[in-house]
Amino acid sequence: MKSFQHVSVPTIEGAISTLKDYKGKAKVIAGGTDILSVLKDRILPEYPQALINIKTLSGLDYIREDKDGLKIGALARLSTIADNPVVNNKYRALAKAAKTVANPQIRNMGTIGGNLAQDTRCWYYRYPHQLGGRIMCLRKGNGPCAAVKGDNRYHAIMEAKKCFAVCPSDTAVALVALEATVKIRGPQGERTVLVSAFYQPLGNDLKDNEILTEIQVPEPPASARQEYIKFALRKPVDFGIVSVAAVIKVTDGVCHESSIALGGVASAPLRATAAEQAAKGKVINETTANSAAEASVAGARPLSKNSYKVEIVKTLVKRVLLSGDSE
Amino acid sequence: MPQNKGVENDIPRIKATLPKIITESGSVIEKEFIELTVNGEAYELRIGNRHGEVDPVHTLAHTLRETLNLTGTKIGCDNGACGACTVIIDGKAVLSCLMLTVECDGKSITTIEGLADPITGALDPIQQSFVDHTAFQCGYCTPGIIMSTKALLHKNQSPTEQEVKESLSGHYCRCISHYHVIEAVMDVVERGR
Amino acid sequence: MAKKYRFIGKPAPRKDAVEIVTGHAKFVGDIKQHGLLWGKVLRSPHPHANIKNIDTSKAARLPGVRAVLTHHDVPKWKAGVPPHLPMLDSKVRFVGDAVALVAAETEEIAAEACNLIDVEYEQLPAVYDVEEAIKPDAPQLYEQFPGNILPRGLPFFGPELLQEVIMGDVDQGFQEAEIISEGTYAFENIPNPLPYEPPGAIASWDGPDTLNVWVSGQGAYLDRLSVYYTLGRKIKVNAYGGPCGGSYGSKGMSLPVVLYSAILARVTGRPVRVCLSKEEHLNTFALRLGSRIHGRVGMKKDGTITAISGDWLINTGYYSSATQGMVAVGCGEVQLALRCNNWDLRPKVICTNRCASGIVRGFGGQELKCALLPIVTEAMEKLDIDPFEFFKKNYIRPGDGYYWRDSNWYVYRGAEYSKAMDKGAEAFRWSKKWRGWLKPTSVDGSKRRGVGVGVHGNGDTGEDTSEAYVRLDPDGTATIYSSICEHGTGQRSCLCKMVAEVLQLPLEHINITDSDTRISPYEFGPAGSRGTYAIGSAAIAAAEDAKQKLFALSAHALNAKPEDLETEDGMLFIRGNPENRIQWRRGMGVDSTVLGFGRFEADFTLPNFMMTFVEVEVDTETGKVDLLRVVSATDVGQIIDPYMLENQLNGCLGSAGIDSALIEESVLDTNTGRLLTANMVDYKWRTFAELPEMQNVILETPFPSHRFGAIGIGEIATAPGPSAVLMAVSNAIGTRLHSYPITPDKVLAALGKIRGGDEK
Ligand SMILES: Cc1cc2nc3c(=O)[nH]c(=O)nc-3n(C[C@@H](O)[C@@H](O)[C@H](O)COP(=O)(O)OP(=O)(O)OC[C@H]3O[C@@H](n4cnc5c(N)ncnc54)[C@H](O)[C@@H]3O)c2cc1C
Ligand code: SF4
Ligand code: FES
Ligand code: FES
Repeated sequence: MKSFQHVSVPTIEGAISTLKDYKGKAKVIAGGTDILSVLKDRILPEYPQALINIKTLSGLDYIREDKDGLKIGALARLSTIADNPVVNNKYRALAKAAKTVANPQIRNMGTIGGNLAQDTRCWYYRYPHQLGGRIMCLRKGNGPCAAVKGDNRYHAIMEAKKCFAVCPSDTAVALVALEATVKIRGPQGERTVLVSAFYQPLGNDLKDNEILTEIQVPEPPASARQEYIKFALRKPVDFGIVSVAAVIKVTDGVCHESSIALGGVASAPLRATAAEQAAKGKVINETTANSAAEASVAGARPLSKNSYKVEIVKTLVKRVLLSGDSE
Repeated sequence: MPQNKGVENDIPRIKATLPKIITESGSVIEKEFIELTVNGEAYELRIGNRHGEVDPVHTLAHTLRETLNLTGTKIGCDNGACGACTVIIDGKAVLSCLMLTVECDGKSITTIEGLADPITGALDPIQQSFVDHTAFQCGYCTPGIIMSTKALLHKNQSPTEQEVKESLSGHYCRCISHYHVIEAVMDVVERGR
Repeated sequence: MAKKYRFIGKPAPRKDAVEIVTGHAKFVGDIKQHGLLWGKVLRSPHPHANIKNIDTSKAARLPGVRAVLTHHDVPKWKAGVPPHLPMLDSKVRFVGDAVALVAAETEEIAAEACNLIDVEYEQLPAVYDVEEAIKPDAPQLYEQFPGNILPRGLPFFGPELLQEVIMGDVDQGFQEAEIISEGTYAFENIPNPLPYEPPGAIASWDGPDTLNVWVSGQGAYLDRLSVYYTLGRKIKVNAYGGPCGGSYGSKGMSLPVVLYSAILARVTGRPVRVCLSKEEHLNTFALRLGSRIHGRVGMKKDGTITAISGDWLINTGYYSSATQGMVAVGCGEVQLALRCNNWDLRPKVICTNRCASGIVRGFGGQELKCALLPIVTEAMEKLDIDPFEFFKKNYIRPGDGYYWRDSNWYVYRGAEYSKAMDKGAEAFRWSKKWRGWLKPTSVDGSKRRGVGVGVHGNGDTGEDTSEAYVRLDPDGTATIYSSICEHGTGQRSCLCKMVAEVLQLPLEHINITDSDTRISPYEFGPAGSRGTYAIGSAAIAAAEDAKQKLFALSAHALNAKPEDLETEDGMLFIRGNPENRIQWRRGMGVDSTVLGFGRFEADFTLPNFMMTFVEVEVDTETGKVDLLRVVSATDVGQIIDPYMLENQLNGCLGSAGIDSALIEESVLDTNTGRLLTANMVDYKWRTFAELPEMQNVILETPFPSHRFGAIGIGEIATAPGPSAVLMAVSNAIGTRLHSYPITPDKVLAALGKIRGGDEK
């Protein structure tokens, strides 16, 4: 790796003021499982002057529940979340999503904050600099998107404009279904943003000098089913090609309410509102599931090589509705 | 192989960017040394870019291999995807290629070299089982796989075969020694029961 | 089978087991040397370009940089067959091609120096597709290869390399056929064998005329020869090898990497290591051959093949390290599996602007079969012939002949393999699972299962020459002198077993030298499946020779004739009288050693055999294919070590084997010439969590090979699988698939659920 200044900070304020000192030329490092590859492969034209280590922030790795629901500190590790009894009991979609991330070692290292804020995995974007130079593209602020006319098998099928990269985070999909928010702290103070609004076409909502401090998950209805289904070529290691998270309230076979989020389809996990509508008030059966599945992809506009993802979204939405809560 | 004679190592001393630690009171400490305990042995390492020193850009895998000459920890992908560099910290299997050494200051690390008894040389039961089952071919994946197994059995003494497979799922093995590895690990588990 | 051996056939720990499990095994990247520099390569951003200008001044000024070399600075050393690839050239031919070399004190400085080199390119049009590449107006990669077609020949394999299969009368054959199938199939996903340890070498010089190279490879002797010839036969080359973190053939030729370290070491006067990063390994080293066939097959209702013809287009990427040799072996292998009197199969080796294809386990034959067998199976389908019965009928039997790689005709003199086929089919329950062409074995909701079978064999079990010494010491120990490296097969330990059996010495008393060409005799190395028979024969002969010499030396001490002596556990005695024994040292004297020599000359008459049965499950709603079960059936004559053999056969999944039908591919972006699968997340490989059930059916019918009646098998484990998977998936979903790997999009397209995907 090319050199950088390494700074460990004791507090959130310390982190913010240090970020400020570097005038946008510093990056936060949490678990490091994403940022270090970004730096090693030198995929970005700008190399940070400094890495701000926030693992030294004490007490930001909590998982606790209060009357408003679940609060997770940004530094909580994915394996801790996946093993946490409360999360497994009441916020199962999140526990399931966390368990599907990467491999056991990465889950031991990776934080939830880093999981949400990780950079995209578009293979043009990630092309390593050492093999003839990085590929520049729209997301890097220079040139057109290389994926639109290239091999876009893993790219977006919905709502994408300029950049067709998809949000790589598994936990984000579950958190969108759970209607979670993230707490962000910056020089101007604190704000909260819905996870569904956290992602933007060319990145995320974190501004310069801001850090993500907490994830807040409202308590879902106790009787609701929760699912996270991830489709990938391989169960471990791989990022999802398509994933679906759902919180579904069914009584006597009738779907009263549901929250279905689609991953791998757009730059953010998308709520499948049309599918939710299609299922609402209906008896959950093959017919309902099929119509919800069709509704979920009504707005899909696949690229040259990824129309298969549309089929997979339909299948997963159908399965999520028809399956019992596993575990 | 014949050793090259008479060459002195003359790495230029580029001014090392010492890692900074900001304290609660806002003062800045520049670290000139870090401390690591590796396989029970304590090391104090100077920050810098000469041989024997730790540059802030060095990963733990690099430090183990190049600075401490503990080359049993392998590097496969250097990017988190293969498990070659797995070591144990705080009882957990982690990837030393995605950790900065300066962030391991004060940590205790176990590597593959730390499993056998340092005095008698007696192998760890996991290692012995790998020997008995020839649970490797080229053996490049072996240290990492053994470290993950060690961490697993530390946490769970009697995992099921499925749990073993899941725990090892981040390990690449191109020779496909997986089947023998599972036999070897389950044999250790059975003996422990 | 009936023979009782003390070591042969019984599992024993590998000789190097403790080093491996303790992390003490020293791979090339683990070696520390005083003054060792890091070598790095600056790589081309363009698939095809002329270098107009290179400015290395900034890089050279970077503190810690010891050398920066461009094509202006290096000798005209050329790699390739025939030698055509300058180690650095004024032209680049693929994204990732070497532009400049740097040696520096640390890895970081070397990488930084690469970034400081300014290069001005004149871009040229690039070509990736074989059929585009041979068009008259296509961009030309090498002046000397018009039409991008590489000349025939691979000097090492002899003057008359087999470069086609032409025999009989195909017109006549097609007339006799009751059905003719015709079509184009391709195996062009260029998977990467991707051994765990990346390719690498260390070089140092002892004065201007002696080069030492330490290579991660299969056997040091071949490295020595290839470097020696490339350097113009003027430099003495000592080659060393150690544990090698996997090769699967690919590191049989690491020449570019070795040359880089050699020239950097020469210029700097320091030892230099060049080890590729995993990214470089993925995108610049060695992929499988691209293979496409426009073929035609004639068949009769009884499964007789009346004619096979076709154009076989081989994409070797930007250079050929041994492709012509792979084509030769592939052409030989195809005859072993498909009995046919009338052939007209014409290969063309074509270069294109992508990473090179190199040596990979399966060595031409896997690539050829993956494309050709589907056309053969189309004919079977039309005639409703069970593929298992078909392969059984058409696989070579004792007395059958074939042209091998040197264009000579050989007659098979080994065992009848149909017994192994039957046992395999029985273990797999083929007759229960086979429901006919394009019929699933079972259907459960959206999940459909299907089965397939493939076959392969290679006449390489006795290819090329091996030599070995065995030294006996008076303390009752023996040392084998051989330059083979341990790259995973366990061959070094198996040699010890064979020698232990000949000398009746405990395994602990047998050693094998490090791989060092200064001390060991000639050895082609453990390429192909030659370890057991070819390399084994040399070691056995050397041990036998040493034993006879020992007896001659010791006869007087026992007052007997040498031919009446026997030895066991380092003791000598007269046959029939084991109680009366003396130690070796009393026979040979404490001040002597005994050296035996053994040599093996190529024998192409004992091809091996492997049949692979697979069962898959296809999710018709997602297009995902899961491999459920693999049964591999073979006959090896005699098992040397059961664990090592099983390991080798289990290897059928990896190293660009069966999984190259399912998940493995290098994805080339033809807009930029870049391989997008440049990391180990995007390049797919099998994980512990998703292992199919695996069963190996291994028969032991003695072969007329060496005294243990064994032949090798490891190399071919991967080859029959991919086409079997294509067959199985096609059967499961009821429609034919045409290309590899069978990704969800192709399955969904074949099922008519989406457009595009698997186009013919
Ligand atoms: C082989 C491999 C496979 C993977 N597979 C998956 C997968 O299947 N699913 C998946 O979801 N992910 C996957 N990942 C991505 C993995 O890196 C993340 O899951 C991990 O959680 C990132 O967390 P981290 O703490 O290591 O992040 P870091 O690398 O420390 O940080 C990632 C990014 O987030 C920023 N950041 C981190 N924390 C904060 C914060 N609190 N405030 C502001 N910015 C912050 C950093 O600046 C950086 O830009 C995989 C990674 C690898 C290497
Ligand atoms: S999809 Fe986005 S990240 Fe990928 S090439 Fe296009 S613009 Fe760049
Ligand atoms: S080397 Fe660390 S995971 Fe591959
Ligand atoms: S034994 Fe070779 S990679 Fe696992």
